[in-house]
Amino acid sequence: MTVLFFGRLKDLAGHAEDSAEFSDAATIEQLFALYAARYPELAKYRSSVVASRNQEFAAWDTPLRSGDEVAFLPPVSGG
Amino acid sequence: MVTLPHDDIYRLVREPIDMAAHIRLVRGPVDGAIVTFDGFVRNQSHNRVTLYLDYEAYESMALAKMQEIGLQIHEKYRIHRVAMVHRLGRLEIGETSVFIAVSAPHRAAAFDACRFAIDTLKRTVPIWKKEYFEDGAVWADGELPPAPAATPRAKPAS
Repeated sequence: MTVLFFGRLKDLAGHAEDSAEFSDAATIEQLFALYAARYPELAKYRSSVVASRNQEFAAWDTPLRSGDEVAFLPPVSGG
Repeated sequence: MVTLPHDDIYRLVREPIDMAAHIRLVRGPVDGAIVTFDGFVRNQSHNRVTLYLDYEAYESMALAKMQEIGLQIHEKYRIHRVAMVHRLGRLEIGETSVFIAVSAPHRAAAFDACRFAIDTLKRTVPIWKKEYFEDGAVWADGELPPAPAATPRAKPAS
């Protein structure tokens, strides 16, 4: 799976893109927990993060499949 | 009248936005009005002097969400064509970051659709701006897009 971080989440994770194995996380929530454990600063922002799976906003309990593109998105500020 | 979305323009660009060119592209003989929105960089934010902004996007998803907004306004309002352009990268004070033009036979639909489009873009399109001040930089406060609620049938995380 491809995992993408944007905005301040990218700064906190130290990179914009990572890859994770499906065996590491079965849901988006578990995937975020994996990174929150690795980068504790990320955990603080859990309540102000929205996730997407394959470029659609997705619920935290969404199951993951290998090949998925998951992104963690902070509040958007375009315009 | 059915308008095909392929008449519309949805773009993410890294160069200055040519507003006049986009207005020409949405202007058709069936139309009687074009309403535009020009969003540009302000020189202050929360009482701090802004030097410049830097925009980034989840580009493929941002473009898809912009097209979704276009489909929504075609469904909701009697409009003809839409041009929706967002610029990315470093923008100086006064430069246009987002431009929307909506043409329609009558002005009311164009006003309503343009307003809906910019409001929805700011809430749902994955684009972020970093504000640079004399004494540092911060990611701008934004809006959290509405995400689907957890699915009741899903098994709890093991």
